Amino acid sequence: MNDIITTACKFVTSSIGRKILVALSGACLLLFLVGHLAGNMTIFGGDVAAGDRSWIEYYATGLHSMPAWLLWSIRLGLLAVALVHIVLAIVLKIENKNARTPYQKEGTLKATISSRSMIYTGILVLAFIVIHLWQLTINGDPATCYSHVLHLFQQPAWAIFYIVAILGLMMHVRHGLQSVLQTVGLATRKVRPLYNLVSWAFAIVVCGAFILIPVCVMLGILK
Amino acid sequence: MANLNLTLKVWRQENAQAQGRIETYKAKNIPDEASFLEMLDIVNEELVHEGKEPIHFDHDCREGICGMCSLTINGVPHGGKKVTTCQLHMRQFKDGDTIWIEPFRAAAFPLLRDLVVDRTALDKIIAAGGFVDVRTGAAPNANNVPVRKKTADAAFDAAACIGCGACVASCKNSAAMLFTSAKAAHLNLLPQGQPEKNKRVLAMVRQMDALGFGNCTNLYECEAACPKGISVDNIAKLNRDYMIACAAEAVGVFA
Repeated sequence: MNDIITTACKFVTSSIGRKILVALSGACLLLFLVGHLAGNMTIFGGDVAAGDRSWIEYYATGLHSMPAWLLWSIRLGLLAVALVHIVLAIVLKIENKNARTPYQKEGTLKATISSRSMIYTGILVLAFIVIHLWQLTINGDPATCYSHVLHLFQQPAWAIFYIVAILGLMMHVRHGLQSVLQTVGLATRKVRPLYNLVSWAFAIVVCGAFILIPVCVMLGILK
Repeated sequence: MANLNLTLKVWRQENAQAQGRIETYKAKNIPDEASFLEMLDIVNEELVHEGKEPIHFDHDCREGICGMCSLTINGVPHGGKKVTTCQLHMRQFKDGDTIWIEPFRAAAFPLLRDLVVDRTALDKIIAAGGFVDVRTGAAPNANNVPVRKKTADAAFDAAACIGCGACVASCKNSAAMLFTSAKAAHLNLLPQGQPEKNKRVLAMVRQMDALGFGNCTNLYECEAACPKGISVDNIAKLNRDYMIACAAEAVGVFA
């Protein structure tokens, strides 16, 4: 038992161990994104498509009507995963900054913009999540969420903020997805181009679909 | 043959404690078949004639095999042409170019003087586990120890690492993952390296962490800067092997 605890402690303080934890928590958050998106897409069911309520209101009230213990264990689980991801990423970032001594003339051969800006896009997404939860979860009612979302995105400033934040998420996910596969040791030069393609496709499809909502509201397609 | 006139922006620093700075030099009449180090030799000769301190830089074999030469050229270790600085030729530059020359920078590579840094940290990673403990005798007879062709190739490719430190110098996190993973992989892939595989992986990774290198964020800049074309596949392998080694250590598969 002692050996297990000792090794576990060494694992979670080592460079590779912490990278693996960031990667796995990131992978969980990617799965959450897909689930969240699937729910969001019900907004395209329109205003009162299903009798007296819109699809998304049925979906939202359905989510909230699950037993409290289940709802809260999902929420706390997500919070724990997000905290592991954020805290370890920041700690690693600080270490990385300290490991470097700066060049007077910087040069780059193949590192992508998204890979070099993970901490910034990450902070943007974190700020977005806080505001998003405040606006639509804490101050939102699942029974009237359709009109709430519509009202929010009819204000151009908020719509643009959401679009910019999701574009940040897109960059983060583009590097993140293929990075996860490398960190957990599943990448080789044979499959790395495929992973890159999949990461691009995932980022564009998922984030593009999220962005579709404010865009459709602004264009008056959703009303 | 054409001669080049260049402007050099060179990092000068008298010793580890001194405040470093960029100084500008003119490199006049440089033959384009000169190597980068020969260009610096020409500049240094002139500096000596003028009674000034020559620019200090590391070099040894000048054949691209020893890993001693360094230099970050225009922000890229070895200039980014898939060769070492000693094999980088001045025909890669144009007349009138301004070239920035800086040391291999990383907190784990303390600067000694001008462009010379101490890369002992890499040796310490090797000393932690980059070897086979037992006597393996003379080279075995061909086909006596079967090794798959693909495995042999991968091990050979990893073993091509000359330990110059360009991977660390090119990494924005100053991570030594490409070096460590290549040195671990070339033994871990072969039968002779199997008995100590887990021990080696744990020792080398822990030593690498202790020396103050950064953490890899998968930018693959190291692979692009490496003069020997070491693949980041080795990093994925090290990540994999490290997980297995930790699991083995936790449950006591080896003492």
